[in-house]
Amino acid sequence: MATTLFILRRLLQAVVVVFIVTIVVFCLLHSLPGGPARGVLGVHATAQQIAQFNSEQGLDRPLPVQYVLYLGQLLRGDLGESFTLNAPVSQLIVQRLPKTLVLTLAQAVLALVVAIPVGMWQARRRNRPSDYVLTTVSLVLYSTPVFFFGLILIALLTQVIPVLPSQAPSGDTLAQVFSDPAGLVLPIVTGAAAMVAVFSRFMRSATLENLDEDFVRTARAGGSSMRSILTRHVFRNSLTPVVAMLGYYVPVLFGGSLVVEQLFNYPGMGLLFWNAAQSSDFPVLLGCVLVIAVATVCGTLLADVLQAIIDPRVKTTRS
Amino acid sequence: MRADAGAILRIDELTVSFRTDSGEVPAVRGVSFELAAGEALALVGESGSGKSTVALAALGLLGGTARVSGSIAIGDIAVVGAGERELQRVRGKLASMVFQEPATALDPLMRVGDQIAEVIRNHDDVSAAEAQARAVELLGHVGLPEPASRVRSFPFQLSGGQRQRVVIAMAIANRPKLLIADEPTTALDVTVQAEILDLLRRLAAENDMGVLLVTHNMGVVADFADRVAVMTDGRLVEEGPVDEVLLRPQHEYTRALLSAVPRLSVAERPAAAGAAGAAGPAAPAAPARERYVEASGVSVSFGRGVRAVHALRDVSLDVAAGETVGLVGESGSGKSTIARAVLGLIEPDSGSVRVFGEELRRARGRRLRQLRAGIGVVLQDPVASLDARLSVAECIAEPLLVHARGLGRAERRRRVAEALEAVRLPAAFMDRAPRELSGGQRQRVSLARALVLSPRLLVADEPTSALDVSVQRTVLDVITELQRELGFACIFVSHDLAVVQEFAQRVVVMRAGAVVETGPTAVTLSHPETEYTRRLLAAVPVPDPVVQRGRRLAAAGGAA
Amino acid sequence: MSTLLQSTPELAVAAGPTGGSLAWRRFRRNRLAVIGLAVVIFFVLFCFVGPLVYHTDQTRTDLHAINLAPSAGHPLGTDAVGHDQLGRLMYGGTVSLMVGIAAGLLAIVIGMVWGSTAGYLGGWVETVMMRVVDAGIAIPALFILLVISAISTPHVLGLIVILGLVSWLVPSRLIRAETLTLKNRDYVLTLRAFGGGHTRAIGRHILPNSISTIVVSATFQIADAILLVAYVSYLGLGVQAPQTDWGGMLSQGLDAAYAGRWWLIVPPGVAIILVVCAFNAIGDGLRDAFAVRGR
Repeated sequence: MATTLFILRRLLQAVVVVFIVTIVVFCLLHSLPGGPARGVLGVHATAQQIAQFNSEQGLDRPLPVQYVLYLGQLLRGDLGESFTLNAPVSQLIVQRLPKTLVLTLAQAVLALVVAIPVGMWQARRRNRPSDYVLTTVSLVLYSTPVFFFGLILIALLTQVIPVLPSQAPSGDTLAQVFSDPAGLVLPIVTGAAAMVAVFSRFMRSATLENLDEDFVRTARAGGSSMRSILTRHVFRNSLTPVVAMLGYYVPVLFGGSLVVEQLFNYPGMGLLFWNAAQSSDFPVLLGCVLVIAVATVCGTLLADVLQAIIDPRVKTTRS
Repeated sequence: MRADAGAILRIDELTVSFRTDSGEVPAVRGVSFELAAGEALALVGESGSGKSTVALAALGLLGGTARVSGSIAIGDIAVVGAGERELQRVRGKLASMVFQEPATALDPLMRVGDQIAEVIRNHDDVSAAEAQARAVELLGHVGLPEPASRVRSFPFQLSGGQRQRVVIAMAIANRPKLLIADEPTTALDVTVQAEILDLLRRLAAENDMGVLLVTHNMGVVADFADRVAVMTDGRLVEEGPVDEVLLRPQHEYTRALLSAVPRLSVAERPAAAGAAGAAGPAAPAAPARERYVEASGVSVSFGRGVRAVHALRDVSLDVAAGETVGLVGESGSGKSTIARAVLGLIEPDSGSVRVFGEELRRARGRRLRQLRAGIGVVLQDPVASLDARLSVAECIAEPLLVHARGLGRAERRRRVAEALEAVRLPAAFMDRAPRELSGGQRQRVSLARALVLSPRLLVADEPTSALDVSVQRTVLDVITELQRELGFACIFVSHDLAVVQEFAQRVVVMRAGAVVETGPTAVTLSHPETEYTRRLLAAVPVPDPVVQRGRRLAAAGGAA
Repeated sequence: MSTLLQSTPELAVAAGPTGGSLAWRRFRRNRLAVIGLAVVIFFVLFCFVGPLVYHTDQTRTDLHAINLAPSAGHPLGTDAVGHDQLGRLMYGGTVSLMVGIAAGLLAIVIGMVWGSTAGYLGGWVETVMMRVVDAGIAIPALFILLVISAISTPHVLGLIVILGLVSWLVPSRLIRAETLTLKNRDYVLTLRAFGGGHTRAIGRHILPNSISTIVVSATFQIADAILLVAYVSYLGLGVQAPQTDWGGMLSQGLDAAYAGRWWLIVPPGVAIILVVCAFNAIGDGLRDAFAVRGR
């Protein structure tokens, strides 16, 4: 009951957020030089063509009316046509989105699997040399531009010691992408690196904070060993803020996919977006922004729900 | 002192210091005492006396920054110098501990049954199912209703008192010979405190368990302890049987401490149900003085819909010029909420709040500011009450800057100096930072700020409850004297009946957002009309062991 | 009574070091943070004072001296159009540092105004303002930047504004949370009870007390902004030639790197990493020194 209410309230918030996103995208559409007409007709359209298009499409009507029309289009799943790829934007996205989701999910899983134990281990060895070394490593990882880090990996692992392919597998279906798992290694590792840095630091400080909590003292007073306190109490209590952080990190992951996909030629949304930017394919650009934003909102929502499942207090205390 | 053979805890020349940023800070300096099996020893002292450090050291629970010397023995096991493994076998088995803050002592993400089972399985090789069954049994034993279903509760689903029962269940799970209780009732309401002390007493008797009770509350000491050890500044200054120490203190510090404790004057036996009527007419009808505060039918709720919490339901409160009204009640009674409604910090859902004859809600602009200039405020937390970035003078001058903008700088400083003097602080404090002052000094600065505009009404919300008794005494004395000089009316919110009895002319007893009863303090607190007030009064332990024993027996008799 | 007062130390804190010097002492103990500060100072001197000592021509191309390996005349070699790489590193660094720092500060100022307004006002205004922040965060900054790059190519000032406008969201959340706690502090409640206005509450108490949060957040924000400048150049929205920045040098040197001309990408890459690390380390040190929670 409380969980359902909590999820419903979050869902409502998400809908509001998506609604605001559509306004932002609509504004972007109209801030294009020449407006949406230029976006559809391309950069080389003449002023006359644009004027004709505007009156045909009702683009000379007041903005609020146009916005309502635009919303109607979105609800029908109509995101316009790509004029470089000659296909409906929605179709292009449906093709590419799953690949990006798979890639980012793999990155997130890898990052958490590495970061959580590392962070806890650092907390246990606080202020010893190994802690300092790891802290510095994560600082460097976090501070390295993803594309530069990827280049270093490419140089090392495909040139110096050629063990991995530098190109991600291509292909239209997920099955084709999975047919060459070795090609996925570098894109996943590259995208996960910064996240490992962020989350291991976060896990380290969450663990340290929880080790100071009263319930740790209570457990010690009851004769529990430090190891069992770490696994039974501290781990779970530190996980809650990590999951919350995961929600905040979803947009960063998607942003990173743009760079990673371009770098490794991975056929997902990021690459689609990158290519569209090179050719000023506005319907594709704005469609992608909208879909990525919705995906981000969904990801954040998922993290919230996950948190409510882990932490029984969330649904009753959070407003 | 008892025979050594029976001692379950033996502390000899214990010295503890902590490494900090500013060097080595001593906390305990050469403390020695013994605790016999089945005995209850109270370790008392004010904050910073080192009493809690002794308690933690006894189980080897001090952090890595502590340096410990001397010896501690639980039974025949030496704690100082023991390895972590060895200590784990002692903790929760031979000796265990109950902590002050039930809100944080339990893992918030784990069901309470699992937490109890963990302690059982730390020392006893039983199956998970068996441990769960014992957890249910233990919860029943510590008086938690419906233990079979509560065992699956999360801590946040329990009240503070219930959580403390769970912590106690964990502590006694393996029938220890020694229980160390560090301020176990300080965070609880007084009626819950009485229940928890009864529970501890019963458990100690059942298992012949020695109890080391760490507390600052002399009433709790009188109620619970066989012997008392008094600590100040890391040293033990006096030790002896409870009757001796509390009634005939030898050491100067103990005497001063005891004289500072506000005492609830109670009838030797709790008043019988019918006595209230016989108490005669209430205090003579006060002459028609001007009413400074008239709150009537005030209701306040927080949140909306099904989740709304009704903090106040139809509460009325009057305060006349020059009078002090005490608002008492347990947590959640709404006593602070009504005070805040009078201050205009909370907008009531319904009802009216009139201050100095004017509806607060209707007043606007200049008029509202004038009304507010007539009210001074002192809140509970001495740290949070003063902005740490300002100097003492700037804190006190703030009301002047709001209401007397024309004042020159020199004139302002003169008024601040006067206010400081009024609260018995040297004018030299003006340029200090609040951080450099003690809790009691900070509360006096708050008071100076409240009084700098010479208000007609002072609203004090638990102004002394974060302070040690001796400090509380000085703050209360200052307020009393100033009130005599300046004649302001006062709304005094407190959970401490003894303080209110001493301080207020009229008392309003609140419970669950409603007024239970109200009347002149002398009448209401000695001959309460309602069962609730009677229970509240009966639950307050008085710092006289002989009287307190009598009250306890009477209460037990009444209950039987 | 007086004997008691004298014999009871009321936990009085001796008049020790002031808050500021205490924070500085704590900061100094964090070795990484001190190194970070040194690195930042070094790079500021290197980029802004360096060209006065080490003269190079960064506006004209020199086709007789392209792609030279490091040598005595060109310590870091030359690039594909003959610019001296060491001089270019200084030249590009001024843009990276200026844009990064200015954009980071702009972001924090916007975030501060937005977050403290939302937190202080509360109610539906706060709800609306924070949903707008949620929506902004939902669109990854790189996507927005790429759309903008498809529309136009801004100059340094425009770049600062654009980066500032996409980076203020996270700080605004932090500052809102801080404002929420501060506005319910007893001293603010007391102020309101005796009739103090909102301006005084915000200006005198809430903003000054959130200054440590703001400073810490600003440091991290600058680190992120310098990274973002690099991304932006990499994605093709960077400043126009002949101007450049470290990210631009990096992306132009990419192809050369495969041809073995490592000196075209290693120096700018290392410079970015060092400076960003440095700001992050300073942020860590400040956070510990001020005891501010969270990133």
